[in-house]
Amino acid sequence: MAAALGQSARSVLACGEVRTCLLPSFQALDGRAAAQLLRLRADDHVRVSERPTMYALSPEVLTGVDCRLPTSNGSKVRAVGTVVARAALTEGRLLQSTAYFSVPAAGPDIRRPWGQYLVRPGLVEPFGKLPQQATAEGVLRGAGRGELDLGTIAEGLLTALRRHALLDRRVPFKSRPTHLRWVARRQPEGERASLTNFTVAEGGLRTMELRLPQDVPAAAAAGLCEDLALHDWLLTTVQQMLDNSRIGATDGPSVVEALHPVVVHLLHLWMPRAHVDPALGHLWDVLEEKPGFSRQWEKLSRRIRDRLALQAVTTPHQALSPR
Amino acid sequence: MLIFAASDKGGTGRSVTSANLAYHRALAGDDVCYLDFDFGSPTAVAVFDVADAREATEERGLHAYLIGEVSEPERIDVWARTEHQVLRDPPPGCGRLVLMPGDVSGGEFATTDDNLRRCVDLLMKLYYEFDLVVVDLSAGRSYAVDMALEATAQPEMSEVTARWLVFHRWTRQHVAAAASLVFGRRGIVAGGVDRGHDEEALRGAIRFVRAAVPDPESPLWSQVSPTQSAWMRKTDGDLKQLASTAGIGYSQVLGSVPLEPVLQWREQLITDEDVLDSQIANQETWQALSRLAARLTDDKYWEEA
Amino acid sequence: MTEAVFRETTAEPVTKSVPLSHLSLELGHLYMEDFEAGPDRLREHFAEVRIWVDAVRASAARRSKRPRISTCFLIDDYFTRFSTPAELIPMVLKEAEKAGLVIDYLARESACAVADRIELAESVMHRLVESPPPGSYGSRPPVSQTGWLANGQRTPTMSRSALGEVKGWQPPQETAARNHSVFMDVELWSEKDGWRLWSCPFLAAVWQLARLGLLRHLGEPVLVPQDWKSEEFPHDWDRLPPLIKLTDTTAAFSAYRTCTLMPNRFLAVEDAVRLILDQIDVDAGALRQVADRSGGEGMAVPAAVAQRATYVFYEEPGDSSEAEGT
Repeated sequence: MAAALGQSARSVLACGEVRTCLLPSFQALDGRAAAQLLRLRADDHVRVSERPTMYALSPEVLTGVDCRLPTSNGSKVRAVGTVVARAALTEGRLLQSTAYFSVPAAGPDIRRPWGQYLVRPGLVEPFGKLPQQATAEGVLRGAGRGELDLGTIAEGLLTALRRHALLDRRVPFKSRPTHLRWVARRQPEGERASLTNFTVAEGGLRTMELRLPQDVPAAAAAGLCEDLALHDWLLTTVQQMLDNSRIGATDGPSVVEALHPVVVHLLHLWMPRAHVDPALGHLWDVLEEKPGFSRQWEKLSRRIRDRLALQAVTTPHQALSPR
Repeated sequence: MLIFAASDKGGTGRSVTSANLAYHRALAGDDVCYLDFDFGSPTAVAVFDVADAREATEERGLHAYLIGEVSEPERIDVWARTEHQVLRDPPPGCGRLVLMPGDVSGGEFATTDDNLRRCVDLLMKLYYEFDLVVVDLSAGRSYAVDMALEATAQPEMSEVTARWLVFHRWTRQHVAAAASLVFGRRGIVAGGVDRGHDEEALRGAIRFVRAAVPDPESPLWSQVSPTQSAWMRKTDGDLKQLASTAGIGYSQVLGSVPLEPVLQWREQLITDEDVLDSQIANQETWQALSRLAARLTDDKYWEEA
Repeated sequence: MTEAVFRETTAEPVTKSVPLSHLSLELGHLYMEDFEAGPDRLREHFAEVRIWVDAVRASAARRSKRPRISTCFLIDDYFTRFSTPAELIPMVLKEAEKAGLVIDYLARESACAVADRIELAESVMHRLVESPPPGSYGSRPPVSQTGWLANGQRTPTMSRSALGEVKGWQPPQETAARNHSVFMDVELWSEKDGWRLWSCPFLAAVWQLARLGLLRHLGEPVLVPQDWKSEEFPHDWDRLPPLIKLTDTTAAFSAYRTCTLMPNRFLAVEDAVRLILDQIDVDAGALRQVADRSGGEGMAVPAAVAQRATYVFYEEPGDSSEAEGT
């Protein structure tokens, strides 16, 4: 029986959504506080890594689902299982939550006892055959009403964390959260993972498609997507701050005031693939090639430093330290 | 900052004026979110001219979110989705302007713990994201007002600056009704104190906006007879006296918006094009709105009277 | 491919394994009322149990030629405190011995709530993952808000929407119903003056997880048995370790499977235990260890945790409550 379960557990698709936002805390959290924040379970570890950046990852928690899968062609496929949710905090400053699950190509036509789903965390089984292409597209498009909603689960965890008593609920600057939906198609073991699509859509939405060999766990893919989402958030946020008219058009101390938070809270966060599974690190190369994530970051940082340097030359000394 | 827009009764131009304030702030570079909490009769969709976008988000609005039917209320990016020609091309450097619509079939509902929880979560989330959040509340002492009072009284919102604008028309009944809405026995202040607000702080966060005020000096009335003109001046003076007696006198007023046919009849955003090119709206209205928008965050106008 | 040179222990947690028997056999569960009924009641109990113990051993022998079976006994010191270990434990051991039974491990019920300053019940509560009724797309309120756990959908409560439709009574629905529902709703805890009292089924579920070798705290084993060689026992329950080992058996306390022998009045409680076990997301590392080792010994455990627990419910000996006065 256990063997039979294992067989059907082989997934053909892994899907997830990452939400990235600024932690609502005036000061960045240190390692201890980060571990306290992310202790979603009393008896489970929060993974804390101090190098090369301070990074904390919560235990994984499950949400049970029994609903239709999102599909692009309107086909109605009921699915039952558990969705994994987890949260990560980078440099005590950027908070992320991910919800993800894997799906096998087919499942039984009846619902099993719940305990059998629980022992395979993160697996959602379709009733009958899975329409792979339509499901992948449906997940990227987003859930319709009543369909399995990764965004709801990720946002629910994020909301609970933002309410944590540890946080003073003060943000050093306003910023917009982003969400990245991703789909990984499984391929035979031993083949090389690849990134086939990364799209920046409107409304803070990003979508991403990859190919993932059978032996790489979905959690590793989630980790890669979190890393990309984090750096994409940095690019988006800093670009937006620079585009703001009050920085673009004016001079004087207000420029310093507007750019100050970027320098204090964000510039040091750029550290691609710092906590990515070695089997997936090379997927960054595609984005470094085009559009050139790190090149763009270099350019933005230089612009900010130049603006501030220029300001320093023309402004009396005391005006440079806002408040 | 959060701005709650309330009014003593319907027809005060609360929705259209507060939408225009949001628009002005976005033009000035702020990221602004406008929430339609007018559960009985959501109108913001018409004001921002986003009916088509609304179609797509039907039944996923604020009402559905607050009662727990959807996990996130729909957002409409006004610059991108509006059918209004001028709004489609916002000037460079302006901030974001996002509308969270209500639901047409919504209706009023009582505040439960769950609704309240969701309301607080939403307001906090938007507070982290936007420079200014404008919440348009149903007229009168409504459930929407209750919820806003209750949400802002929660300890987790203690760090958030929340200000209240109470819109009223410039008539005897409206002046009295507005005063009663705020200071009455079941008014905003009393209700707020019941829910844990500090009375002084709450009073200090409420200002009045006189809407559709006819200016006796305006060229609009230059043709009226001397008797009429004298009567208008006298009545205006009486109203000022009445307002002052009711506790909503000059020091409590954030500003006035002149009687403006475009606001009254078309309930829409007034663009600079309406004022300069087609000239269907008055320059004074544009200036009043601009002034009012600036005062929302100008602490000088919110100091203890 | 070279192994990573740089390591951070806090970034790579491990789950320690625990020794495992084939079967954990519970010989009884003592409550105050049993104690108050006197040693005769206990004697009757063990005499009845003895017969089923033999049957259970015979059953285990079908799976393995040399089954490793450990026995245990649980005393309630959580819901009511009565007597003292010094008075009670020797009496229990003596009566068991008279029936030809040996108790290897003895535990206090409060250990299922807190053991060695670790809040076991609280930790298990964090691991509850509710069985989703059809239509759950990810937005159900977590169980920790309600304190109740069901096997389906409850009767809907009245809508508080001002103009919402008013509907008549609607039946609850068991999620895994076959034709008809057997709906069950279990209270996990109650709260009074800010103090949380765990329910009997919830603590019993924790007890089952401990016996199945599935509890860890930050990767470390919990409720580890302490050797107790002395004939003497303390006069205060708090001074007795949560789980003690009374014999020098080589069979470990935790096991692949459990079997519990108890009077049939506990049937409802144990049904609730199964309902809870079926909705707990057990430590994945511990789960894998048990699956691997039981598989390696040719006695693979059922995938679902609740299926690993079996029971014998027997008729209450002699002086049962209805028969009082005869």
